[in-house]
Amino acid sequence: MAPGGYFGRALVVDVAGDAATAAPLPLDDAVLRAYLGGVGLGTWLLHTLSPAGVDPLAPEAPLAFVFSPLVGTPLTTSAKFAVVATSPLTGLLTDALASSQFAIAGKLTGHDAIVVRGRASVLSVVLVDASGVRVEPCPELAGLPAADAETALSARFGRGWRSAAIGPAGERGVRFATISHDGRHAGRGGLGAVLGAKNLKAVLVRAGTKAAVADAPAVLAAARDLRARSFGPATAKYRELGTLANLLAFNAVSTLPTRNFTAATFDGAPRLAAEELHELRGVARNSCASCSIGCEHIYSRRGGGSQRMEYENVFALGPMCGVSDPDDVFAASARCDELGIDTISAGGTIAWAMECAERGLLDEPWLRFGDGAALLRALDAIGTRSPGLGELLAQGSRHAAGVVGHGSIDFAPQVKGLELPGYEPRTLQAMALGLAVNSRGADHNRSGAYEADLSGEVDRLDGGDPHVHAAIATEDRAAVMDSMILCKFLRGVFTDPFTEWAALLAPVTGWDLDADELRATARRIVTAKRAFNLRAGATAADDTLPARMLETPLVLASGRSAALTADTLRSMVAGYYAARGWDAEGRPCT
Amino acid sequence: MVDVVSSEGPAAGVVLAGGRSSRMGTAKAALEWHGSTLLYRTTALLARTLDGPVVVVAAPGQDLPALPAGVAVTEDPVEGRGPLQGIAAGLTAVAERASQAFVCSTDMPFLHPAFVRCVLGGLTPAADVALPFARGFRQPLAAVYRTSLAGPAAELVADGMLKPGMLFARCTVTSLDDARLLSDPDVARFDPDLDSVVNVNEPADYAAARGRKPAEVVVECFGALASDGRRGPRPVAAATLAAAADAVGLTLDRHVVAALNGDQITRDPLLPLVAGDTVAFLSADAGG
Repeated sequence: MAPGGYFGRALVVDVAGDAATAAPLPLDDAVLRAYLGGVGLGTWLLHTLSPAGVDPLAPEAPLAFVFSPLVGTPLTTSAKFAVVATSPLTGLLTDALASSQFAIAGKLTGHDAIVVRGRASVLSVVLVDASGVRVEPCPELAGLPAADAETALSARFGRGWRSAAIGPAGERGVRFATISHDGRHAGRGGLGAVLGAKNLKAVLVRAGTKAAVADAPAVLAAARDLRARSFGPATAKYRELGTLANLLAFNAVSTLPTRNFTAATFDGAPRLAAEELHELRGVARNSCASCSIGCEHIYSRRGGGSQRMEYENVFALGPMCGVSDPDDVFAASARCDELGIDTISAGGTIAWAMECAERGLLDEPWLRFGDGAALLRALDAIGTRSPGLGELLAQGSRHAAGVVGHGSIDFAPQVKGLELPGYEPRTLQAMALGLAVNSRGADHNRSGAYEADLSGEVDRLDGGDPHVHAAIATEDRAAVMDSMILCKFLRGVFTDPFTEWAALLAPVTGWDLDADELRATARRIVTAKRAFNLRAGATAADDTLPARMLETPLVLASGRSAALTADTLRSMVAGYYAARGWDAEGRPCT
Repeated sequence: MVDVVSSEGPAAGVVLAGGRSSRMGTAKAALEWHGSTLLYRTTALLARTLDGPVVVVAAPGQDLPALPAGVAVTEDPVEGRGPLQGIAAGLTAVAERASQAFVCSTDMPFLHPAFVRCVLGGLTPAADVALPFARGFRQPLAAVYRTSLAGPAAELVADGMLKPGMLFARCTVTSLDDARLLSDPDVARFDPDLDSVVNVNEPADYAAARGRKPAEVVVECFGALASDGRRGPRPVAAATLAAAADAVGLTLDRHVVAALNGDQITRDPLLPLVAGDTVAFLSADAGG
């Protein structure tokens, strides 16, 4: 019998031609307890099911939708799922989370994960419910945005089905295409291209069973307590302004990447700030399924319509590209949603291209920092993979820099092929380490080391041993939160997180676990991700930052200079390996 | 995390606290200063200004009030032998980690980072000491010394030569007069009367100093903290971070951090503020 909150099995779906076969993969108690769910269990599944050296876009490359023991419980923010695969952008493990009813319906098909392999002969969808699996062709959905495809699929198959779909960019193999449901993207690493390579427009799931928890009254009590705490000051920022509240704050402390990381403050920041937009625009709030925080802020667009705006898409399509007109940024964000591409990688890759064009390395004289129309034109080129620039940029900045050459890799804003999020490493040096060593590449969700930089806990301009420990601590916390799965916007409500998380998991699963066990689980998950990447060819040389970050100090608004040297980063990386118990080449020793 | 980085490598801070405070009648180090003490204010001011270690030189066995995190304490070898002994002990304590040190006494409640920066900048490559001559007096306890002077200073003390002037006679000194100091635009703007060198030696001095209005700083709140009419920069009179927060109706709890002058992230409510500072209050729940 499976532990509470689990079914004790994954479903492995093999698509071939116009049909699919499915087989259960038993997940015993030891595996579930060791990897929990979400990102952790997804990593285990990829270790188990992914052939070594497989092309991420090959039919046999597995794509896993992974749920968690908390999905379907009344615990706030628990309606989340992870999508895990080998990234076509990095060639390494990637995992992305999204929150929606897809998580609940997917789990209640009776599986802790659904893994898809193979390739359909024509554009199709896979449908999974408690009664089985089938493939249905859907060539009429070709080229549709994911949201429109969801609407069409709902009309065709009925409202009980929930679909995780791709946009046209995923169909065309853009290496940073997303998978989305209900407007929420599993965004990073090109998972949409993996689904598109299987000739699948969407995976549909329908609930057909229930998941029992070990102690329902205790779970309900814990849920009530967590919900009450979720209304407190730790989440006020997310409720009142959303993540876009970061923009002005980051600008004030010189950590807002601007014009492809050539500056850390942006004159146009006030125009794009949440505070400004709240005064000048209509704004509505929304929540993910089963969430009491309500962080989503949806702004009215000039000329009609509305657009959900987050810090990361505004950073990437605004300051990063030198664009300060909010309507240009709104339009660019909407275009990314329609195409189904990751805004961070899109903005980073285009910012790199803008710099190349301004340096004369790309013969695209129209592509200039600050030009909103150029930004939109470049996005369309990527989404359609138009010959020349579109085809080049659809591969991401690392690959594009390899084609363009002339040292442009030095300022390609990526780590391991994944474009950097909106955190300036030179002024956030714990985060610099987190970005360099993270298995997913430059990533702010699997390493939240900026928390230490921005807390005063460490000297953010002078990386060293304290930063190593801070980076590991946040990476470990993320590993557990992303596996059990809870939204990270809740993290501030926990004062003793591992203990409190154990107390949440215990009544769901029936396990007698404690904080130390969860800390070990975190380390196990981080190490498993590392091991997967080593198997995929990663080396210690990948644990670094773009040369620009290590060779060019930033002059701050205060007049100070912020430098992160290669020696400092190397020293922190070495300290990280040692603290993780890995050898000098970053290889786990046991 | 600092306002000032010397071009000659890390610069340390040395605060002499071992004096007898005989005219004050009570230990000056422990005198209340806007919620903390004079010693806390002086050491914290140097810690936020310099990129090297900050050390307090105490008398043997002296009880000291609480100090900012990271500030170390060393002791005079012998009690009551005057400031040159304290200078020698302080320079010795920091010599391995800094090539120069700003040395001051504990009772300088208006010491300003711009003044410290200016004196540091006045230490020419050929000089051993940058010595202000301010407000009519030589200021050996508001001066910069090369830490290589630790040995010579200790030898002088051992020979019974206890005045800083004895050291100056044996090394190269760059004198910084009022005009030189005020030629620094930041000093001219934020410390035009060179109040940095004001000491409080008697109760009346202390009362007068304590009665001064705190410096004007600019406070700006961001994100959710900017609600309730707190949006945009506003000038407030505040001697400490806590006072600045209080002035705009914020409570410094675990959900709030402050960025000082866009650089230093801090939660120390007793962090001293000075004229010209800008304080940004941010949500501690950064990211997203």
